Amino acid sequence: MSRLAALNNAVHRYIRVNQEQVLAQAAQLSMVPVILGEFLKLCVQYPIVLTKNGATGQFTCVALFGFDKTENLFWTQGRWDAIYLPLQISRQPFFLGADGDPSQAAVCIDTMHPSVQQSQGEAIFDEHGAETPYLQKAKQMLATLLNGEEQTNQFIRKLLALELLRPMRLEIEFADRQKQQVQGLYTIDEARLKLLPGQTIAELHSLEYTGPIYTMLASLGHIYSLVQRKNRLLAR
Amino acid sequence: MTTPVQSVVIVGGGTAGWITAARIAARHNTRAGGVRVTLIESPTIPTIGVGEGTWPTMRNTLRKVGISETQFIRECEASFKQGAKFARWVTGDAHDFYYHPLVLPQGFTKISLAPYWHRDANGRSFSSAVCFQEAVCEQGLAPKMITTPEYAGVANYAYHLNAGKFAELLKRHAVEQLGVRHVLDDVTTVNPAPNGDIASVTTAANGAIAGDLFVDCTGFSSLLIGKHYGVPFVDRSDILFVDNALAVQVPYDHADAPVACHTISTAQAAGWIWDIGLQSRRGVGYVYSSRHTDHDAALTTLRNYVGPRIEDLSVRRIPIRSGHRRCFWRNNCVAVGLSAGFLEPLEASAIVLVELSADMISEQLPPCREVMDVLAKRFNQTFAYRWDRIIDFLKLHYMLSQRTDDAFWRDNRDPASIPASLEEQLELWRYCAPGNHDFTSNNEVFPAASYQYVLYGMGFRTDIRFVAHTLTQEEHAREQFRQNDKAIQQALATLPTHRELLRKVQEYGFQSM
Repeated sequence: MSRLAALNNAVHRYIRVNQEQVLAQAAQLSMVPVILGEFLKLCVQYPIVLTKNGATGQFTCVALFGFDKTENLFWTQGRWDAIYLPLQISRQPFFLGADGDPSQAAVCIDTMHPSVQQSQGEAIFDEHGAETPYLQKAKQMLATLLNGEEQTNQFIRKLLALELLRPMRLEIEFADRQKQQVQGLYTIDEARLKLLPGQTIAELHSLEYTGPIYTMLASLGHIYSLVQRKNRLLAR
Repeated sequence: MTTPVQSVVIVGGGTAGWITAARIAARHNTRAGGVRVTLIESPTIPTIGVGEGTWPTMRNTLRKVGISETQFIRECEASFKQGAKFARWVTGDAHDFYYHPLVLPQGFTKISLAPYWHRDANGRSFSSAVCFQEAVCEQGLAPKMITTPEYAGVANYAYHLNAGKFAELLKRHAVEQLGVRHVLDDVTTVNPAPNGDIASVTTAANGAIAGDLFVDCTGFSSLLIGKHYGVPFVDRSDILFVDNALAVQVPYDHADAPVACHTISTAQAAGWIWDIGLQSRRGVGYVYSSRHTDHDAALTTLRNYVGPRIEDLSVRRIPIRSGHRRCFWRNNCVAVGLSAGFLEPLEASAIVLVELSADMISEQLPPCREVMDVLAKRFNQTFAYRWDRIIDFLKLHYMLSQRTDDAFWRDNRDPASIPASLEEQLELWRYCAPGNHDFTSNNEVFPAASYQYVLYGMGFRTDIRFVAHTLTQEEHAREQFRQNDKAIQQALATLPTHRELLRKVQEYGFQSM
């Protein structure tokens, strides 16, 4: 359950955000949407792939955390075991108001989010009602996400136009011999990429898309570290 | 000296003309200088716009000419079709219905469930026991999701479409993307060559247009194959009695009204009513035999079906003459569409016959005049067979009815009106269920599964006593019935409503993969 309210320094003056709860809320997410600007930080540990939004069928870039719907292999023993946290998680419990002109989007808070508390955590306003550096940072993340989403969508549209995507066929066998087929994930079609004429490559380069394309390809190796994480869990 | 086929001239636009033009142009690289394709369309003769129902073959046709499914659905007011529901065909009761779905019976390639269903139907109709699609249709659900790629389906499907808009889309695509030359003009004379071929056609404003192959898509006027060559029309109304249609377009009450995901065919005293849901309206029509009812009574029947609002709508009467040309390809002229023939729309055979013709012409386009007669002969044999099979299959629906309310139904059971080929098959099916061994030609139109759905839906039963010793896969069969139940549950839990999917196609579109 959530309840979005426009952030207001009178109503929300004494609210605090508990960071542990922010992370704990992501414990059952197997993926989150990510933006181009994060790719270099993400690729250190996460596979970056594409999937379709269930409600719209539109492609979106995601960081992969697990193989089942609610499996997050980065969440172990009550903590997030990774160096970098995707913006979609760290910006919680803040949102940008969805309606109206995006440049005028109001910062909202989900007051029902378990991280929103009165006692523990980061303050968002000081005693005079001024924004704390923590809130300023959160707002910056929201702005980064807003711009990044549009940029990432353009990137995806280009990949589609050039027919550079392919469905991934993942058949994983875990240490306990259990087999799993993972469906609905897509990645860069390397064979098609190799066949692109120089002119198209130059265009991708000038759009600064070649970096993210190769980053996605390189990040696929982390599928194996995810399997390893799962095997470690199974062995326990 | 050999004479290569380098130029195809299609006379007549409409669905038939444009599908044929697009298929040939796409296959023979017209745009890049391959075979030239010219389509001459009369600016004065309106197209009939026949048939709003298609077969799953349409997905392949669209893919082959390079039109995206999203664009097609958006521009042709198209909706999804998962088969047909036949109401009141068996006994005429209010609750009498069965389905002819597009998904094959569960496990069909490995086991025929029909005899096992006969042995223990468990109170279920054949179509609901062996196929999950009936439940999907009854719930108004779509055959796929917005995440399903273009032209792929969770359940097999075809489309309902606005034929006028469809011809427009094909025309634009054929001219702009595929390099088809479009001539808006009337053909005034057909000019023969010494060998009996058509050398050219003279047009009112563009002079003579020559070609190596002519395709007659001139509709009922049958300008080339009928008028020029005098190929006789074979009347089949001794088998199929329907000879008129009253058609009306019924708008929905509101923009979010549910859209049926199947054709609804409801039997009436002297024929049946089609009901086809497009995005913004339903197409409804009564096809009837004027030998068994009169036009006023037919209008009353249609009015009773549509309701009082029909007073504000315009009802159009279209004469139907069931039959086809004795042959379809003569010299260097081949007929596609209504010029080749027409049958009542019971199983949506009009557009699929156009597709099958266009497919064969484009895939086997004679490379030179010298081999054209060989391919023409093959084409004629293939389509004579196909028309006969479709006529058999349509007749099957009528002759199995138990309705006694009108002479129309009794006359349909008169053995004199039943083709010998159909009578023979039925004899066999009285003791063994239809199977692939009954349909061994490469040119079959309806698969054995379709016959099973209609036979057992219409209340026909096969006496399995004498094959009982072959029914040794009881456990496997039970597993298939269970699989079907599982498929129903899964489909009902995951598929969106038909209306919702259509809305999402408008808003987001399908992805190509």
